[in-house]
Amino acid sequence: MIKHDIVIVGSGLAGMRAALEVCEGLDVAILSKVYPTRSHSGAAQGGIAASLGNSEPDSWEEHLYDTVKGGDFLNDQDAVEEYVKAAPRVIYELEHFGCVFSRTPDGKIAQRSFGGHSKPRACFSADRTGHAILHALHEQLLKRSKSIKIYSEWYMHSLVLDGDRCNGIVVSDIRTGAVEVMQARAVIFATGGYGRVFNITSNAFASTADGVMAAFRAGIPLEDAEFVQYHPSGLYRQGILFSEAARGEGGYLLNGEGERFMEKYAPSRMELAPRDIVARAEQSEMDAGRGVDGKDIIHLDLRHLGEARIMERLPQIRQLGIDFIGVDCVKDPLPIQPTAHYSMGGIPTDKFGQVITDAEGTHVKGFFAAGECSCVSVHGANRLGTNSLLEAVVFGERAGKSAFEYAKTVDHAPVNESHEKTKVLEQFEGIFQQNGDESYNDIRNQMKKVMTENCSVFREEKQLKTCIETIEKLQEKFKNGKITDKGKLFNTEIYEILELENMLAMAEIIAKGALDRKESRGGHYRIDYPKRDDKNFLKHSLAYKTDDGIEIKHKPVVITKHQPAERTY
Amino acid sequence: MKFALFTGCVAKGATRELMLSTMKSAEGLGIEFIEMKSAACCGAGVVSEKNPLLADALNARSIAIAEEQDLDLVTICSTCQGILKKTESHVDSDPAYKEKVNNVLEEGGHHYAGGKIKIQHFANVLGTEEGLKLLRDKVKRPLTGLKTAAFYGCYVLRPSGLSLYEDPDNPTGMEEIFEILGATPVYYDSRTKCCGFPIIMMNKNASHDMAGNALIDAIDSGADCVVTGCPLCHLSLDAYQPEIDRMNKKGCSIPILHLPQLVALALGYSPQELGMDKHIISTTRLDEILA
Amino acid sequence: MITFKIKRYNPEKQAEPYFEDFKLDVQEDLTLLDCMNKIKWTLDGSLTYRMSCRSAICGSCAVKVNGHATLACQRQAAHLAKDDTIVLEPLGNMKPIKDLAVDFKPFWDKIDKVKPYLQPKQKAPEKERVQSPEQFKLIDDSSTCIMCGACHSDCNVLEVDENFLGPAALAKAQRFVQDSRDGKTLERVKNLSKPGGIWDCTHCGECVERCPKPARPFDRIKEIMTVALEQGVTNNNGARHALSFAKSVKSSGRLNENIIPVESVGFFNFKGLFDLLPVGLRMFFKGKNPPILHKSIDEVEDVKRIYMELDE
Repeated sequence: MIKHDIVIVGSGLAGMRAALEVCEGLDVAILSKVYPTRSHSGAAQGGIAASLGNSEPDSWEEHLYDTVKGGDFLNDQDAVEEYVKAAPRVIYELEHFGCVFSRTPDGKIAQRSFGGHSKPRACFSADRTGHAILHALHEQLLKRSKSIKIYSEWYMHSLVLDGDRCNGIVVSDIRTGAVEVMQARAVIFATGGYGRVFNITSNAFASTADGVMAAFRAGIPLEDAEFVQYHPSGLYRQGILFSEAARGEGGYLLNGEGERFMEKYAPSRMELAPRDIVARAEQSEMDAGRGVDGKDIIHLDLRHLGEARIMERLPQIRQLGIDFIGVDCVKDPLPIQPTAHYSMGGIPTDKFGQVITDAEGTHVKGFFAAGECSCVSVHGANRLGTNSLLEAVVFGERAGKSAFEYAKTVDHAPVNESHEKTKVLEQFEGIFQQNGDESYNDIRNQMKKVMTENCSVFREEKQLKTCIETIEKLQEKFKNGKITDKGKLFNTEIYEILELENMLAMAEIIAKGALDRKESRGGHYRIDYPKRDDKNFLKHSLAYKTDDGIEIKHKPVVITKHQPAERTY
Repeated sequence: MKFALFTGCVAKGATRELMLSTMKSAEGLGIEFIEMKSAACCGAGVVSEKNPLLADALNARSIAIAEEQDLDLVTICSTCQGILKKTESHVDSDPAYKEKVNNVLEEGGHHYAGGKIKIQHFANVLGTEEGLKLLRDKVKRPLTGLKTAAFYGCYVLRPSGLSLYEDPDNPTGMEEIFEILGATPVYYDSRTKCCGFPIIMMNKNASHDMAGNALIDAIDSGADCVVTGCPLCHLSLDAYQPEIDRMNKKGCSIPILHLPQLVALALGYSPQELGMDKHIISTTRLDEILA
Repeated sequence: MITFKIKRYNPEKQAEPYFEDFKLDVQEDLTLLDCMNKIKWTLDGSLTYRMSCRSAICGSCAVKVNGHATLACQRQAAHLAKDDTIVLEPLGNMKPIKDLAVDFKPFWDKIDKVKPYLQPKQKAPEKERVQSPEQFKLIDDSSTCIMCGACHSDCNVLEVDENFLGPAALAKAQRFVQDSRDGKTLERVKNLSKPGGIWDCTHCGECVERCPKPARPFDRIKEIMTVALEQGVTNNNGARHALSFAKSVKSSGRLNENIIPVESVGFFNFKGLFDLLPVGLRMFFKGKNPPILHKSIDEVEDVKRIYMELDE
């Protein structure tokens, strides 16, 4: 059995920040199914929000209000307040770590406008902000390589939960197939989101719900799973992200008739309205036949920004357009459509990164979570751009602190190694032995198709029910699959199959949550319930695993400074 | 065809046979070369290690000298070719930098215009339609039976944006010339690799190993000789060949020719006229093949 | 229809690698990674390679295509085919684990060697350290590196000398050598000037050619060289060579090939001078040695003037 004091699963921004927080004095391990710099945090482009006021005077109070309004008032405002207050300090700390930031002429960290923010507070590094922060944290990790052990290309299968206490995780080394139990005093999950259940997504192939599903299977509910953010500017058919920064720098959105249609949907903020509003606007235009060439395409037009500004502020986006679709945004508009981008929902935590298991806030001792895989909730029903990178770093630090304080007070608890290992070994063996005739690839494609067609920007009861039925059928088909690679050495095929199992389960939870929430709020829009219903649904959903399937309970929203009001831009 | 000839330093120093054979092949083909006697060393990418602006200024000056004569510039060294193209690219892509460079050149009476003349390697000139026709018409002694392996030299191939070859990862320009001269081109993987010359003073073993790998690859692919467009590659592959460990262990050797020497041989000149007796690795084996 | 010739390797099954062909109908806009996925998901699930973001930012999917390293997700397969064939091999200069997945540990070890983290000049201020846009520009390019290993794969020096730090580690080093906030510039360039460092780079340009981002490692290595020379770190052959070269061009407009080798190894470096003897004598007896009387170019005064103006 492998033993550490604290084990962190996931090595993106949240995971690495947590590792830096806990490594002085405790034996720390960080584990990821990819090498840390391959983590999906690196794909974030636009910026990280903080009320530094380097461009225009700003305040945490304004950041708080923008975030809560952006979240359609489902955010837990006590958590949001501490989070936005911490933001400036967190940015300065990143800069002190050596993070490379774009600068103002007088040498301060530059800030730009972003959707839903009333002031320019997105600190950025060209259009590679996630990449810049990821590498800055990775450098710090390398600096402390003697204090932090990196398990790279290891997969986390399950949580070891004994009653209300977490005692470790069960893992396997992807390179050798060897299954191990990792005993720990505290476990932190920073495992990211699950956009890959959809067809058109900005997410990496690695974003497959593994962490959230391990928690779910261990009896922990998933909060607000139905809230998925569709980013307005994903590359047509491929879903690759074109940062909101393009609109922040002044880019236009045009329909097939060459109109800046946002005038009709958010006349005051236009292209810089929050993402859910813009995505719905785009989808409405496309559904009404006003897409470019009648197809599901909207144009992102940057030509008027000029080559110099594009090369300074948006160089990566320009290269993405050229490489992936042969379009140079200096000369031509980019073809985009909404793309599944961010998971507002996840493992419920309090504002200190401590995982809770019910509406009362009962702790799961020794289990913490941070970043996209968690739901605090700071984003509510819709996340503002640049708030996720901030969340990862703020809560990575907080979860780290909480885990550290907790771990100092307890000893390792005994773990039934062979029992835990056997469960996973049997799962592996089961897949190896299966000799069915279903194609895993077909199952995955059908899941993505049904989710994108029936559970994305616009949802409706019949469609959601079809979706759930289809997913359940696919889960049956999954039991009748057949694997090609039966070896142990670097068997990426079997891990893709485990990921598929997790995604099917997650898809079901999202669809059921969407069916249950009979209102429209933030990223969740019901055509049959188009209005926000604060009377009945101003509450978080908690989806539990029961013997009879998924049961949805609820949790109150913490409202302090801002009473829910009409959300217009 | 009339060109300003940028000889480079080595053709006047350690590889004078290159200069000799260049003038002979020009004579045989009816090409006129005006030697650029006031052009400075291209810097070989080494001066720019100390002072990038200085290197660009010196090269912009050389290009300006050719511009002033209204002549395209021809190089006979892959390194000079690549370095001059780099300067051209640096200066042309940034108007403020171009102004800075021209401010320095002004006092000496030179001005770099940019985009006025072509900068080409001799192999590129021969590879044009006009060049190939000249070769076809003037070949007197086809090099039948001679199996020739090209060694391009890094600087004419990378970065690919500055290369004049259509497919710098898979160039065929030199091999096309070989065919027209009657020789049989030999293709092998190492022909686009580095000869190791730049690090001969810093890491001798690595330098020799790189040269050795390339030569052994050429020999194993059936070549009688290696033909190169760069005198620095020539030095690495010929002058240092007796010290290359890998070759000595294998007990083999292979003569190295400059491209103009191969051309001039096909035009009817004798090996002695082309300074081939100066090579460290004897080229007499080739006389037998050509006899 | 494109034939993918893929180098398979599975030491669990057989010791030697072998090539296997897969045929696919490839539409215009499929990337190479799309094709690899299609092969894995519909033809042979055991085909093993790394990939994640598919948008050229995570650096997982670098492979050798037709002999040269490239990022699989960034390239259109139809553009890569030669005679309707694409040859796929694992990255070079790294040991394959299985099929197209290689062992990156030596790569990360080299990154570690250059102390790839900020070593600040002073204690951190309350807010951000000030850094001008011009100073940001100095480290902008090297900060785009995604650690994909393509440069490392095709480096001509690494092929023959595994002691060389390699382009990725050196480019990462430049990220700190020229970061105005870092306080260890002299120490860094001293270490980078040792054997295996910047002066072992052979300028082959493969790293710049293969880099999928604007990192251009070779350009970064040259920047470190300039800083090292500025900082007076000159007690090594590479630095002496550069200084001797520049001096020769200043005095005559051309290289004095008789002097440069001597000045490069150092006048009192008897072993180094002795090592030069064989090639020197060889060339002397063939009449190949450069003329002892070294002639300047015409108008050499203009060159001297330019030196005076630009190079103190």
